[in-house]
Amino acid sequence: MSDIPPQAAIIKETEKLWGTDLIPVGCPHCQRVFLMPAWAGETSCPLCRQGKLQPQDVRMRPAEPEKLLPFRITKADLENIYDAFISPVWLKPEDFKPDRLLRRTQPIFWPLWLVDTLATGHWQMEAGFDYQVQSTKETYANGQWISRKQIEGRVRWEPRLGKVNTQVENVSVPALEEHENRKALTGGYHHKSAQVFSPKLLGEAILEAPDLPPEDAWPTALPLIKNRLAAVCARAAGAGHQRNFAVKASYQDQHWTQYLLPMFTTYYLDDDAQPHILVVNGETGSIQGPRLASRKKGNQIGLIIAASAAGLFLLALIGLILSMVFPPAGLIAAVLGFLGLIVGGAALIPLIWPAQWNRKQRGLHLVTGRHTQ
Amino acid sequence: MAQHITPLSTWKLPEGFQRVDSQVPGVEVFAPVVETAMEDQPTSFTCPHCGANVAYDVSAGGIACEYCGYIAPVRAEQVGRSADEFEFTLETLSHAAHGWGTERQMLSCESCGARISIPAGVLSSSCPFCASNQVNLTAGMDENLRPRFLIPFKITRERTRGLTENWLGKGWFHPNQLAASTVTKKLTGVYLPYWTFDTRVHAQWRAQVGYEHTERHYNAREKRWETRTKIVWRWESGRVELGIDDFLVSGSMGTPINQSILSKIRPFDFSDLVAYEPDYLVGWQAQAYETPLTDAWEICKKAVREQAKEACYQDIPTHHVRNFSMSADFEEETWRYILLPIYLAAYKYENDIFQMMINGQTGAVAGHKPVAWCKVWLAIAGMLSPGLLLGMIGLPLMLLDGAGIVPIMIGIFLFILGVVLSVIVYNKARQSEGKS
Repeated sequence: MSDIPPQAAIIKETEKLWGTDLIPVGCPHCQRVFLMPAWAGETSCPLCRQGKLQPQDVRMRPAEPEKLLPFRITKADLENIYDAFISPVWLKPEDFKPDRLLRRTQPIFWPLWLVDTLATGHWQMEAGFDYQVQSTKETYANGQWISRKQIEGRVRWEPRLGKVNTQVENVSVPALEEHENRKALTGGYHHKSAQVFSPKLLGEAILEAPDLPPEDAWPTALPLIKNRLAAVCARAAGAGHQRNFAVKASYQDQHWTQYLLPMFTTYYLDDDAQPHILVVNGETGSIQGPRLASRKKGNQIGLIIAASAAGLFLLALIGLILSMVFPPAGLIAAVLGFLGLIVGGAALIPLIWPAQWNRKQRGLHLVTGRHTQ
Repeated sequence: MAQHITPLSTWKLPEGFQRVDSQVPGVEVFAPVVETAMEDQPTSFTCPHCGANVAYDVSAGGIACEYCGYIAPVRAEQVGRSADEFEFTLETLSHAAHGWGTERQMLSCESCGARISIPAGVLSSSCPFCASNQVNLTAGMDENLRPRFLIPFKITRERTRGLTENWLGKGWFHPNQLAASTVTKKLTGVYLPYWTFDTRVHAQWRAQVGYEHTERHYNAREKRWETRTKIVWRWESGRVELGIDDFLVSGSMGTPINQSILSKIRPFDFSDLVAYEPDYLVGWQAQAYETPLTDAWEICKKAVREQAKEACYQDIPTHHVRNFSMSADFEEETWRYILLPIYLAAYKYENDIFQMMINGQTGAVAGHKPVAWCKVWLAIAGMLSPGLLLGMIGLPLMLLDGAGIVPIMIGIFLFILGVVLSVIVYNKARQSEGKS
């Protein structure tokens, strides 16, 4: 780290790339690195909420932003989204409330790489050409045949091969190790409203820095570039479909830029004051994350119901004793005893339900692994 | 930024590929070479040794020169039943290749209107359908689809003589002077056009099916118990699948070729199918189709849907059926245009024209023969006379003493038998002449 320049120089460097004064900050807990406006105050890590973001003297890779998908979800939308998300949960933790989630909401842009390269080589594929055939349906009724022609679409597969020397542009490649998890949590973007990057579009959002450098992202990028080439070659061959595409090419003049995708994170605390992160897609409003039930609340309600059952049993016992001198009291004792049984059984429900519900929430967590830049 | 360069192996254009138009700059596209066999320029078939005209020789299985003995085998792939089949694409007709691929001429018969293709250099020929020599050259029919496959002739011209003699020798009511040689001389080997169709039919039927139900009831008038059969009707439905393989439809409907004779010399063995090569047609006649693909397919469909209907009826467990309806979905419909070998002869006898055909692959013979009507009338007279004679004997006997009833009864029986036999013989004679 000895060659890392002083912070003032870093700000200057990022300002040159991003067109605004951003400082690199890191989370000491999850090791993630972000860029945030220099004027922003102290904030907790939006992705783990267990550490405070601290300025870090790290050299940012010179990969300038090229495109950005702006936020479309407003604060009012978020309130409704949180409300709808929370409402199905019975016995929710004390902290799991829409207003609190809203207060803790943090907008973030997370990155994808956009790769441009010149592909030169040769390729082969099975090209599929659409064509139509005429089929027939014959119907017989009342001694007469009626013939009806039907048109069916089919695909004819033919071999094609050739040479390619073409520029492949804007291939989206994961820039985060946890890309798949992030994609699953955000539920995908439409990308139609993507815009050319402008610092004005950043607003108050924090920028998550790529943790997959181009060298590490290349094995993932290559098949995506090949897919793009397959589509280009199919188009060149005039084919509507392609399969078994193979290409042997060199990929020169690579240019890696960033594509920023919007999301919100927020959190709530469970019974043990552990934070649980919720992720909202900044474009579609799709929300994901664990919505846990409170075992503590369940236990409390269960105990209250159990105490009620015990009271009923006690009354039944008194009725039983009274029945020795006043026989009709025996009937009342039996009814009370039966009610006590039912109420006692019902006490089990709030005790068991939170654990059952919470089991279904597994796998909805944001990955909180190791992150280094 | 690091450059990721994958070492390239040297690229060579594979054999059988050619450059085609690319829709994207910077991308070159190569596609398999389109088979040019179907786009051959007209070629002349002459002997490379002596320059004489050559012809396809059945026994040699290749092109042979009858002057110097030169033989060149035909390089055609035997494809059999696996010969390519073509779908009913909307572009089929417009994309199909045209013409015959070799230099042939179309002859149009002024007498019967038949159009036949003959080898180059033959300016006139006897029409195989009407034996007329009045033929004129017309322009070639380049709008025809090309034949893709054919079954080569297996029966030699020499063998047709024996087959013809044998066939002519059958039957007693033909003229004695009908010599085999006359007909054999008229025999012409012709490749006739055929369409073959394959399809799968998924049929669904629905009908009221009647089940016979026997019940006992009390007949108050007769004062006894009786049994009676009642039909109980139920709505039922079912599914039937039908596979049609190589359904043959003649491509020469509407021509003077007698289709009923043609159907009698079937079947052909499709395992002998070979890819079309003009060599097979050298020195032989070949007819282009007159029945277009769509018309032939309609003929096939009508026959197949009746087969499907029959199969549906067979699926019904009883013979009591009413309100029958069905649908037949045709799937995987394919077609082939093929040429089949037939020897044709049209010969004149007492101003009448008769056709005779020999299956050029199997040797099956069928046709029409002239009838010596004097023989037929004599035979009919012979068959009717016993009955009439006995009647003539019996009638006076019966008038005299009543004993003639027996010969009259026998005479009536023999006369009726004679009439029946006479009608059969007469019809056979008419059929033999092709006039039934």
